Amino acid sequence: MPKAKSDLLQGTLDLLILKILDLEPMHGWGISQRILLISGSVLQVNQGSLYPALHRLEEHGWITAKWKASENNRQAKYYELTRRGRNQLIEERDNWLRLSAAVGRIVGTA
Amino acid sequence: MKSILRFLFRRHAVERELEAELHDHLDRQIELNLARGMKPEEARRQALLSVGPVEALKDACRDARRGNVVDTILQDVRYGLRLLRRNPGFSLAAIFMLALGIGANTAIFSLVYGVLIRPLPYQNGGQLIVLHQQNTKAAAPDLRFSVKELTDYREQSHTLEGIVEHHTMVFLMSDSLGAERVQTAVVSGNFFDVLGVKPLLGRTFVDADDRPGAAPVIVLSYPYWREHRGGDPAIVGKIFEMNGKPHTVIGVLPPIPQYPSESDLYVTTVQCPTRSSERFKANRKGRMMVGFARLKPGVTLEQAQADLSVVASQIGQAHPDVYPPASGYAMKLVGLRDDLTQRARITFFVLLAGAGLVLLIACANVANLMLARLLRMEREMAVRAALGASRLRLLRQLLTESILISMAGGLVGVGLAPLTFSILVKFAARYSTRAPEVHMDAPVLCFTLLIAVATGVLFGLAPAFSSQHAGESLKQSGGRNSSARRQTLRHALVVGQVAVSLTLVIGAGLMMRSLLKLSQVDPGFRTDHLLTLRLTPNFARYNTKPELLPQLTDNLMRKIRAIGGVSSATMVSNVPLSPSGIASGPGAVDFNIAGRPLSQGQLAPQVDTTTADENYFTTIGQPLVSGRLFSEHDGASAPPVAVINQTMARHRWPTENPIGQRVAFGFQPDAWIEIVGVVGDTREYGLANQAKDEIYLPVAQRGGFSSSLIVRTASDPAATATAIRESVRQVDPLIGIDQVGTLEHFEEESMAPPRVTTTLLAIFAALALLMSVSGIASVLTLSVTQRSRELGIRMALGAARWSVVATVVRQGLGLVSIGIVFGLGGAVLLTSLLSTLLFGVSPTDAITFAGVAALFLIVGAAACFVPARQVTSIDPLTALREE
Repeated sequence: MPKAKSDLLQGTLDLLILKILDLEPMHGWGISQRILLISGSVLQVNQGSLYPALHRLEEHGWITAKWKASENNRQAKYYELTRRGRNQLIEERDNWLRLSAAVGRIVGTA
Repeated sequence: MKSILRFLFRRHAVERELEAELHDHLDRQIELNLARGMKPEEARRQALLSVGPVEALKDACRDARRGNVVDTILQDVRYGLRLLRRNPGFSLAAIFMLALGIGANTAIFSLVYGVLIRPLPYQNGGQLIVLHQQNTKAAAPDLRFSVKELTDYREQSHTLEGIVEHHTMVFLMSDSLGAERVQTAVVSGNFFDVLGVKPLLGRTFVDADDRPGAAPVIVLSYPYWREHRGGDPAIVGKIFEMNGKPHTVIGVLPPIPQYPSESDLYVTTVQCPTRSSERFKANRKGRMMVGFARLKPGVTLEQAQADLSVVASQIGQAHPDVYPPASGYAMKLVGLRDDLTQRARITFFVLLAGAGLVLLIACANVANLMLARLLRMEREMAVRAALGASRLRLLRQLLTESILISMAGGLVGVGLAPLTFSILVKFAARYSTRAPEVHMDAPVLCFTLLIAVATGVLFGLAPAFSSQHAGESLKQSGGRNSSARRQTLRHALVVGQVAVSLTLVIGAGLMMRSLLKLSQVDPGFRTDHLLTLRLTPNFARYNTKPELLPQLTDNLMRKIRAIGGVSSATMVSNVPLSPSGIASGPGAVDFNIAGRPLSQGQLAPQVDTTTADENYFTTIGQPLVSGRLFSEHDGASAPPVAVINQTMARHRWPTENPIGQRVAFGFQPDAWIEIVGVVGDTREYGLANQAKDEIYLPVAQRGGFSSSLIVRTASDPAATATAIRESVRQVDPLIGIDQVGTLEHFEEESMAPPRVTTTLLAIFAALALLMSVSGIASVLTLSVTQRSRELGIRMALGAARWSVVATVVRQGLGLVSIGIVFGLGGAVLLTSLLSTLLFGVSPTDAITFAGVAALFLIVGAAACFVPARQVTSIDPLTALREE
């Protein structure tokens, strides 16, 4: 297990989930693995936050869930981005980019 | 919303999915760990570790779904019920107290709603108004209408849809089976149209029924039709004889409350011998009728008032002789509902306030019980908080429990309330004809539900707020902090309870003192052993031959005096303290005093008149003060004489001797009457009302028939009633008899409204006092329990037992004293509301205030007795060992 862990900013987890699901529908465990993988093992998502976040996003109507057969015929709950979720992703992504650029500018000048 | 539905219908499926999802996650993590080369057990352990506490995770997922609100509520309810079952003593006590409080409020609110608030059962009842002619400067707030006045207002007003009139008469109605006195309402042809009443059977009046020469027709009221005519479905078309004319029944009214008074039947104005006589119609001062109207659509009461005020001033200018400027003649419009319920309003709201205060005290008591229990549950709450229950959740649980209690209390209260209805309806009937409308229905139940929830929140919030930092108490392993806060809150509640109940007890005390004063009032005559009956001769016969009436009176008196047990008998126009007299109040007849001519525009003095025979004063025991009483020599041919009461003597002849003075009435300005005697004052129109100017005239000189018979008996007056009825029938079987009663009973009856109000308030006050006492006792007991270690150590260190007891008592009395101070302050502010209900007692009556304060000190000391006894059971050694 990698030591380098970063606490996720409030709301960032939602963005990450939406982004991962934008690539393809995925189940909970898969999402956490993808985040770990893509972030180069920097971001490790706590399960205690991941699943409530998934349920919350579903409640908002940004993602939907479906039980589907995964590899070797196991049933898994796959989450998928809805149209509203895609819009939300665009919005949150823009926000994030603006924010991180701003933070970057400040931190970079020091 | 969708998720709530999903929760409700697919709860278990959702739950299973969550389970499967997490299981799937775990499996994948184990597989991954195995693939990394871990041993199976290790792979599983690590996977579980990465997931963390599964149940908390599930909870978090459930919380993310809004639908689960329902679930948590259900959980809270289950938990609440479990708690209540675990403490049956607490639950029962709380439910019982709230049931009393909520029951009392429900009952009184049914009364208030039924009489004061419920819309009138007429079509658009809100548009109906009552017209009042007033002489504002002569303190005559409600003159009735003469025919001429009604005609003027009908012709000159623009904002009203038909002004209709109403007056009541007592007629004799007969058919082949016999004669019966009927209370008859005489109304305009469009009366029922304006009120918007549709008949149950047949039809109501049309304009043609109210034209001179129209065929006499009658409409029966529902109760009369049911009770006196057996609900005969074929009643329409039946013919009855009334006032010497055949009257045809044309319809029956539905079972609606009748306003302004209950009548047996209705006829149109042309059928009333008095109302249709040319002399009466021509007399602008012949005021007998009540005027009703409906506002035209879109017209407000204010607009109509402005319109009618203009008409009033026009009428006043046109007839300055009838409406002298000095009288302040005016017209006032009042909404029908307000007009009918005006008398009840203050009393009912005082009672509602009383019931509300009882509920408030019950709330405080239950809050106190909950706090006490919470002190014992401290650990449990702390543990639950430590296990991850959020503060909000704990608060919600406490509130759920308190609302459960208050709902249970409300349910029992709703069951209790109707038990009081039979009394309350009778009580309300003294104030308004709307009394039969008092019952429990949807609006009342809504009110009950509302107050049940409100009280639940109220007494639930107190303990909830005191447990703000439940987490801390675990750390402190005793929770001193929040229990100290709770103790303070409990003390504050006790102070509040004492203050509120003191206010209530003072209110009840004032009413009791007032009632006592009222019962001590000397009515001015001897009410014992007096029986009265009202006699109504068949006016159809005597109206044409009034000269027969003195003969009838003579025959009656001879017969009745001959009855054994009757020591004297008299006929009089108004019976002192009779319900009908009290309801109508004194009359006001203009008169002049010889030698004191009125200047231009000056108002004539007014007086109430009573016509009686020469035996009246001796029969009722009204004392002669000076001069002489009537005698049999004051006959029709003798010079006219009169007797006045002391009030009139003082009022009109403060420095002269009234005997020998002469007066003449406005309607016969040249017929001078000599005052021959002064009699003592009587409280003829109610014990609470000071005597007004009164003039007594001998019936032999006034003519006509004084309708009330008063008999003084040697033994029980009620027992002679049958013999008297029989004698009356022997003289003339067509004489109607009603308003039978003893004067003692009338006197009792006249005090019934204040007595019932006082009784209800006293019950409320007693409940409040009891609850406060139990509140004080429970707070102190718990405080002793909590301090038993401290108190024990004190005793071990040498403090005398009595000094420890004194500490406890001092603490209790301290709280009570603070409560008393606040309560006295509150009472000063609130009792002024009672002032119109009080008789002979000031709203800040020092005796009542001091007495009640002393009562609370004594009762407070008694309440300290229980905890004080407990002190004596503390064993210093045990206390030391525990430490």
